[in-house]
Amino acid sequence: MKRRDFLKQSTLASSLFFVPNFVKAFENIAKNSLGYKRLVIVQLSGGNDGLNSIIPYTNDIYYQKRPNLSIKKNNLIKATDELGFHSSLKPLKNLYDQGYLSIINNVGYPNPNRSHFRSTDIWQTASNASEYLNTGWLGRYIEKHCKMPYSGIELDDSLSLIMKGKTMNGIATKNPRILFGNAQTPYFKKVLNHQSDAHLSEHNLGYLYKTMIDAKSSAKYIYETSKTFKSKLNYPKNPFGKQLKTTAEFINSNLKSKVYYVSMGGYDTHANQKNRQSTLLKTYSKSIEVFVDDLKQNNTFKDTLIVTFSEFGRRVQQNAAGGTDHGAANNVFIIGENLKTQGFYNEAPNLLKLDQNRDLVHSVDFRSIYATILDKWLHVDDVSILNKSFSKLDFIS
Amino acid sequence: MKIRHIQHLYWRAGFGISSHELDDIKSNSKSKIVSNLFTNSEKINPIQLDLSEFLEIKNKTPKLLKKEMGEAAFQKLRQKSQQKVRYLNHTWIDRLTESESVLREKMTLFWANVFVCRDNNIFHIQQYNNTLRKNALGNFRAFVKAIAREASMSKYLNNNQNRKKSPNENFAREIMELFTLGIGNYTENDIKESARAFTGWAFKNDGSYFLRKKQHDYNEKTFFGKTGNFNGDDIIDIILEQRQCAKFICTKIYKYFVNPVVDDKRVEELTTQFYKNYDIKNLMTTIFSSKWFYNEENIGVKIKSPIELLVGIQKIVPVTFDKKNQLNYLQKMMGQVLLYPENVSGWKGNKNWIDSNTLMFRLKLASLILNNAVINLEEKGAFEDSFEKYYKNTKKKNSYIKTTKNWEAFAKQYGDLDPQKLKELLIVSKLDEDTEIMLNQLKIKSNRDYCIQLMSIPEYQLC
Repeated sequence: MKRRDFLKQSTLASSLFFVPNFVKAFENIAKNSLGYKRLVIVQLSGGNDGLNSIIPYTNDIYYQKRPNLSIKKNNLIKATDELGFHSSLKPLKNLYDQGYLSIINNVGYPNPNRSHFRSTDIWQTASNASEYLNTGWLGRYIEKHCKMPYSGIELDDSLSLIMKGKTMNGIATKNPRILFGNAQTPYFKKVLNHQSDAHLSEHNLGYLYKTMIDAKSSAKYIYETSKTFKSKLNYPKNPFGKQLKTTAEFINSNLKSKVYYVSMGGYDTHANQKNRQSTLLKTYSKSIEVFVDDLKQNNTFKDTLIVTFSEFGRRVQQNAAGGTDHGAANNVFIIGENLKTQGFYNEAPNLLKLDQNRDLVHSVDFRSIYATILDKWLHVDDVSILNKSFSKLDFIS
Repeated sequence: MKIRHIQHLYWRAGFGISSHELDDIKSNSKSKIVSNLFTNSEKINPIQLDLSEFLEIKNKTPKLLKKEMGEAAFQKLRQKSQQKVRYLNHTWIDRLTESESVLREKMTLFWANVFVCRDNNIFHIQQYNNTLRKNALGNFRAFVKAIAREASMSKYLNNNQNRKKSPNENFAREIMELFTLGIGNYTENDIKESARAFTGWAFKNDGSYFLRKKQHDYNEKTFFGKTGNFNGDDIIDIILEQRQCAKFICTKIYKYFVNPVVDDKRVEELTTQFYKNYDIKNLMTTIFSSKWFYNEENIGVKIKSPIELLVGIQKIVPVTFDKKNQLNYLQKMMGQVLLYPENVSGWKGNKNWIDSNTLMFRLKLASLILNNAVINLEEKGAFEDSFEKYYKNTKKKNSYIKTTKNWEAFAKQYGDLDPQKLKELLIVSKLDEDTEIMLNQLKIKSNRDYCIQLMSIPEYQLC
């Protein structure tokens, strides 16, 4: 390659190849993945309208508050004598019928915040409404128990707070080939090829080099491992389907990652909600159904737990624009093979007892769900990650 | 004064120093160099965008406007005005790059991350930004009182909903927790009582402050052990009576301007001085005039913020962004979008800027804006986006940051420079031993290439 071309890709010219020993060490991790538990978190970003997803179809107040927006009894899929699925959630209902779904109603936290940003922060950091944390709950988990960025993967190009620890973070990628390519760019490579680990200090410069080394190794490991498995199933042709397909390829190639985070956008339905939400829920549930199939076919579903949440639910009362405004408590979907409580975990939303903003009141703190997962699924001490003890639930054993 | 010390000063008080600037001042005494920084920042030059097409938003209430122009037209006008906030972002970055008031602008940026605020109303947020600029080197007491009256702040922390009958405590809580004292240095009762003192603080559509007397609680409050018919200003005065307030601000200043690792003894000294009169200019003068500021342990040890990184590059190679929206992209990918802080606690800075993804991006930044490197990463969608818009960028294949680079200007200052000198000008951090060997082995063909290479090593991430 000519030097000028080399520079085109932005470079530092030099040769020689030294890979520090400790970098090699983790690149050769054993591929044994029996009983290797994984967690996939999906955020329906923007605030999904839970009341129109799982519909309290025998509740008169629901129909009174939503004269145009409510889903009619004959246009939904009944599940219990109180609650039914939005017709777009048929694939989710299939999972429900097979006992793979647990729906937890009325999940939230005290003094709910109705800003997307703030409430997402709260859900991602597992903080109180009045507390600002700069690490995410999955980031703290990775930092404490996993030690490598690839242990937590976000299916995106930049990393969200949920995956950030203090000095160890997860890594974001939608496309492992591009991630790998970026960690192989000449300047990156040349600097690292000259690098020995002998003098990396905990000071900022050492931290930068350490992060570079970890990034490069993680990118390489993710790329080289995940390319050994190509999914054969037909995922819906949209970016969310693509994110889940890539996640399945990570999991089915036995990548040693513990936690995944996927954000699906579009749920902020202030106007014309009916059609918009219907399309969104269809996209969501169809992709999830294929994802579960993909895992099942490869015998990894039993070791994967899929959790879907939104930063908040929406107001009970519809607005004037055929939509709903930001609300509070909402439902959370837990999908897995060996659920202890299948179907509905708890009581339906109480539309008689709303808060001062006329929003649903939570009865389950979202951090109880996290605590349960950390304790019973990932088998780690939940208190040291959530910084507080929360009562545990019973949806997994 | 040593060249290295001038560079250090200019990195902390500004965004680095160019070769010509350095030549101009390097024979001056330290006291002259420091005092010039302040003299150059004396003038307050507010940002004033042309907002004439949105004057109706400023002059009429939303209710009246909706009635006059109809809901749809009103929403359209409002959206267009919200777009202007992005324009303000670009203008601000240009300002950071070009202004002669280096220190005032750096301080403005610093205060924007103390008094964190976000607002879609272009009139209010521009006014807010200028309030930061105006008070950046002034008196902290007047500063806090001005901020408490700002329309944007009132909305951001719900003080506009703070009424006598049902006080909203958000502003009262954050002013103590995040702006003046820090968590744990007040009681829940202090919050309750002080919230009452800020009841009725309101703003007009044009952004000016007024008191809704009927909503204001004139009764007695007990705050930090004192009892009286306090109003908001009294509360701020009592907060400033706490030495903790001076300490809280001095700690932030020290971490930002001196060293992310705090030296308790130095902070104590600064606190003692600042507590006397809360004069920001005097405080900064003390820091920059001190001997310890120039200690080797303080030089090149701070991780640049994305804005420091971006502006620093532009100081060396003048660049115009042909597509201004790409400036937003760069900020987003690195995790710092001016005027769009993620929450009221602000950017944490230093190591918090860095994860695998941001670091790879930051190391590529110079190539992206100076060397037409390919972009293959997409920014995240927004909460408010539709599904299509949320993922809109995923279809794009290779793209580039479209910039016009002024290499002629670069050549004038750096073209004939000894490469060793260029390295010393660009890198203030200690060089990693192995990287130094690698640099020494490089065959340097042109200073232009070498400049991009130097900006691509981890050491350039530090200042």
